[in-house]
This record gives sequence, structure tokens and C-alpha cells, in this order.
Amino acid sequence: MNADLEKLQESNKTELERRGSIFNIGAPATEAVTIRDQIAVGFGDGTVRFFQSGSDPKTVKAHKGVVLSMTNYEDHVLTGGDDGRFLKISSDGNIDEIFNFGSKWVDCVVSHKDTKVCSSGKTVYIWRKNKDKPEILEHQSTVAGLAFDNKGKRLAVSRYGGVTVWKLNNNKWTASNFTWKGSHGTVTFSPDTKYIVTAMQENQIHGWRINDKADLAMRGYPSKIKSFTWVGDTPYLVTSGSSDAVCWPFDGKEGPMGRKPIVVANGGKELATFVKALNGEKAVFTGFTDGSVLLAEIDESKKPIMIRSSTGSEVSTIAISSDNSQILIGDMKGSILLSSLWADN
Amino acid sequence: MYKGGIYRTNYKEIDMENTSQVPVTVLTGFLGAGKTTLLNRILTEQHGRKYAVIVNEFGEQGIDNDLVVDADEEVFEMNNGCICCTVRGDLIRILSGLMKRADKLDAIIVETTGLADPAPVAQTFFVDQDVADRTKLDAIVTVADAVHLSSQLVDHHEAEEQIAFADVILLNKVELVEDNDIVKVNDRIRKINPFAKIIKTTRCDAPLDEIVGLNAFSLDRVLDIEPDFLESDHDHEHDDDVTSLSFVSDTPLDMDKFQDWFGNLLRTKGQDILRSKGILNFKGEEERYVFQGVHMLMDASPMGPWPKGKDRSSRVVFIGRDLDNMNLKEGFENCKSA
Repeated sequence: MNADLEKLQESNKTELERRGSIFNIGAPATEAVTIRDQIAVGFGDGTVRFFQSGSDPKTVKAHKGVVLSMTNYEDHVLTGGDDGRFLKISSDGNIDEIFNFGSKWVDCVVSHKDTKVCSSGKTVYIWRKNKDKPEILEHQSTVAGLAFDNKGKRLAVSRYGGVTVWKLNNNKWTASNFTWKGSHGTVTFSPDTKYIVTAMQENQIHGWRINDKADLAMRGYPSKIKSFTWVGDTPYLVTSGSSDAVCWPFDGKEGPMGRKPIVVANGGKELATFVKALNGEKAVFTGFTDGSVLLAEIDESKKPIMIRSSTGSEVSTIAISSDNSQILIGDMKGSILLSSLWADN
Repeated sequence: MYKGGIYRTNYKEIDMENTSQVPVTVLTGFLGAGKTTLLNRILTEQHGRKYAVIVNEFGEQGIDNDLVVDADEEVFEMNNGCICCTVRGDLIRILSGLMKRADKLDAIIVETTGLADPAPVAQTFFVDQDVADRTKLDAIVTVADAVHLSSQLVDHHEAEEQIAFADVILLNKVELVEDNDIVKVNDRIRKINPFAKIIKTTRCDAPLDEIVGLNAFSLDRVLDIEPDFLESDHDHEHDDDVTSLSFVSDTPLDMDKFQDWFGNLLRTKGQDILRSKGILNFKGEEERYVFQGVHMLMDASPMGPWPKGKDRSSRVVFIGRDLDNMNLKEGFENCKSA
């Protein structure tokens, strides 16, 4: 490459790319979670790498195949892999195998305080504190998403045909079913726990108001919604799947029913593939099919800021350190940008 | 171009030598026909290739390999109300997981249970955009038991459908059948499916390159339809038998008339038309047009000029149920240009 071209590329870089570090891992980044001042990323080669500003990432060879799911758990991460293993991993590389499901994938993991949960096939396994054996919750079809409410009292399990919400009463789990035709994936509770929302295999998201099971169908997307995040105090459910970040308001009695979403962070002909809230702000990071990332306020009159330029590979994960100082962006080719969010850092 | 049914637009754009698309072979056949034997061969005789195999949870035991994935055959209808949009939700999820692997797979093989309708599997590769972007349906391969196929065709309509959908049929266990009975079974298969390639095997001993990596769903393979197979004569015992009908015309077709007829046909009768393929000679067009479909879904595209010195004739094949009541011959004849 000649010097002029290099200069040109340098000038096309964003401020965050210039001051940050770029790592080429060579395998798709599948998940990222924050543990204190580190960001752990799972990859398609089975590794979990711990990234920290100012040092090289620490690599843990965790799974044989793909890290399919990951969540934080105290000072550790929990991971599920396509090698059938459910693992607890510390940042210094200690691996504790919680369970080995053999040839079955561990599709989803979630935790709340000292409770560890994973799903494999149609079954959810719950390890609670001081119990050796997991509690087992069966479902009629393969589990595709898990989420706890903020108190850890309810566990939403998405599957074909809707969501089962399990409630812990007197040490027993009881089920309540929320039904909607189709295949449901990632699931989330609204921060006030009044709603549950799923991303479907069709180009739509579906929600239920929990107290009366009223349906909310949010449609009109040109592609599948692979990612959503709750933003601000309203709050907004911000979703990928369109050329903008689509922000549904969940305030008032009716939430988004009969209302139009706000759209911010236009990616032109690129589609949004990953969204992540900036904690404490009414703003969202939106990653696109070409690898670019925009930061936008939930305000259609404000202009978004370019955070990462195009890499040619779709953004598959974004994580922010717990003190809001660092951002990590990963894509399907395994390129990782780790950078400080603020210039004076 | 045709607008009938759900028409996958921009065929060329989707299929444009996208080498990152992993080919997927769908393997069907009744329990005991020899699917597991074939799967074990595929996994052990890889010759440096990396194949993932998606098996069904009710399948035969005896396959143990890192790249074997259990599926639960979760079929669901999409909310758009279109019957042809019945897809396999578990496949969408598993394929998305496999696409996150660091090492690239050379091919994926999807096994289905003997009683499963192969249509939702095939449709998944047309209907789901993520799946269509990263994988492509390579071929539907059916393993048939030469000893039992004739009785299975009488007793189970699924057996007929598996023969009807196939691009390749392994007629297995031929060593256990008399030669003249093999001819009979062969003829029975041909009545249902005139364009599938039939390979006679003992313990599924066909070369793997005749099973995997065929590109049978590529439109240019439509041009391979052998005119010899195209016989309109057929006889059958029940109205719900799967049969095939084919038509040839040396008179150029009128494009508008054909679009109207064919679009309407797929829209209204697509449920009963399991497969369709054809090469078309339109009046005033220098290029050949080809199409191939599964139920209401189809691809169509111009496919280069007609070869010099060969007849410019249109050929269409339908495989399905109740074809006699669709006025296919009349409909096709009416498309001839004046």
C-alpha cells in the first residue's frame, strides 16, 4: 500500500478508532459482557478473551466449537457452547465446568445474583445457591431465549409458539404461558417488568403486557431483529433490523400500542444488526451490516456521531465498560475495536 | 419476469457466485432405508472436507461425531398466512449457530425423519433471508429401500413425496432384489419423478460427489432435463397419487400469456404442485428462460442464448397431486404465440 493511500485511510478513521486498539481475532465475535473494568468476548473458535484498556487481551480456550451464549455471573462469565458444555470462567483463565450436555448445544445462559441458568434443547436447568442438583423446567419445543426480571423472581423462556414465564413462589416454579404463533428468539423484560418482548424469526418483534397478556405486534421491519436494548427513563425499546435504530416508547398505560416509533441513526442502505444503550443517557450505539457504528440520541432532530467506520463485516456485538469509559465493538470477521469513549480519558 | 406466487426476486443477485454460501444437502428416506449408513460414510470419508450433519431426534442411533447436531423438526407457519411459508424454525436457529464457526464448513447435511414432509425444509432456504444469504439448498437426496419401496408407496403418502421432491434417489439394497424387480421399482420411481437421478447402490456405496455438492437447485441445472423422460402418458390407481406431467412445444410461447397462466397456477394450485421445472422459448426473445419451483416458491431467470443448431423447444415438468384437474395441457397450449 502506498503512503498516500495509508494517509487517506487514516483520515477516514473515526476519532475512537484513532485513539483505540484494533485486534483481528479471525473468528466471529458472538457475545460480549462487562465484568468490572474488563470486557469478555466469546468467539466462533470457542475462545473467550478478556479485553482491558492498555493491555493485550487474555485468551481462554473455553469451548471446542462456537461460544453460543454468555452472561456475567459475579466476577465470572457463564458460557454455553456447541460442544455441549456450560462453563463458569474467571478472567485469570480458570474454567469450571458446571455441566456437560454431550452432543446437545447449550443455546442460552442467564444469571441472577447467585443463580445460574442455562438451556439445552427443550429444557431449562437452574442451579440455585446451596443446591447441588439443578432444577429442571421442561418445554414443548427448543428454548431460544432466557431472561430474568430485575428481582430474579420471574424467568421468561421463549420458544416456538410464545413465552413461558416461570415464577418462583414458596421455592417452587410455576408456569404462565404467553402465546403467539411463530418462533420466538431473544426475550427481555421491560425495566419496570410490566412487559415482555421477544424477537421473532419473522421480521417482527412481539410483546405482551404481563398483567392482562395483551399482545403488542411491532412490525414493518425489512429484516430480522437480532438485537434490542432498553434506553433511557421512558424507556424506549431500541431495535435493530431496519436501516435506522427503531425506538418504541414503553411509557404510559398502553406502551407502544397505537403509537409510532422514533427512528434515529440512519445507516443509509445498511441495516442495523446490533444496538446497545449508553448507560444513564438517552442515547444508543447502533451497529450496521457494513461494520460501521453510530451513536445517536433518541431525538430525531439530533445528528448521530460516527463511532466506527465500515469494516465490511456486520457488527455482532457491542459492550460498554461498567464505568462508561470504554467501548468494545466486534464483528462477524472477528475484528475488535476497543477504545475510550471520552477524549480526555 | 413471472410474478406468480411468492417470487424470489433478483435471483441473479442472490446467487451471484456467492462462494460464502455453504451448500446444504437435504437427506430423506424411510427408517431402515440406509440413511444412517450414508451419514456415517459422509462423516468418515471426508477426504479433507468438513461436513456438519443435522440429525433428527427420533432418528436411528449410531452416529457419533463432533459435527453432528440434534434438531427437533420444529415446523412452523409464518404469520403472513402464506401456506408455502411453512419453515423449520429449528433449522434456522441451528444454521445460524453453525455460521458462527471459525472454520468454514464445506457442506451441511440435514437428515429428516422418514415421515416428515420435505417441503418445509426446502422452503426454509427460500423464505428465511438469513439462511438464504449464508447457505444454499444444494440438492434433495432420497434413500429408498429397493426391497420395500413399492409397498411403502402404497401405504405412506410421505414415501411418494420423498420420491417426488428428490433430485437424487439412492435405490439402496439392490443386492437383495431380483433384476426384473429392480426394473419395476425403477419404472415406478420414474412415473412419480421423471428428472431425479437414480443411483442403484449396495450399502449406499455411491460416490459422495454424486450426492453432495451437486448444485441441483441452480437454475442452469434445469437445462439438464432429459427430453426422454418427458412422457405425458401416465396411469395411476388413486386420485391422490403423486404423478408427473410434462409438455413440449416447438411453437414459441407468448411471455405475457405464460406469466398470467403460470403465476395464477402456482398461486392457486401450488400446494399440490410439489416440484416444477422448465425451459422456455419465448417469442421475440433470443435467450432461453429457465425456472424451477418448490410448491409456490420459484426461481426464474434468462439463461443465455439457445445453442446453435439445436431445436428451440419449450419443456416443462410438473410433479404433484391431482395434476389432471389443473387443465395443465390446455393452459400450456394456450400460451403458444399466435
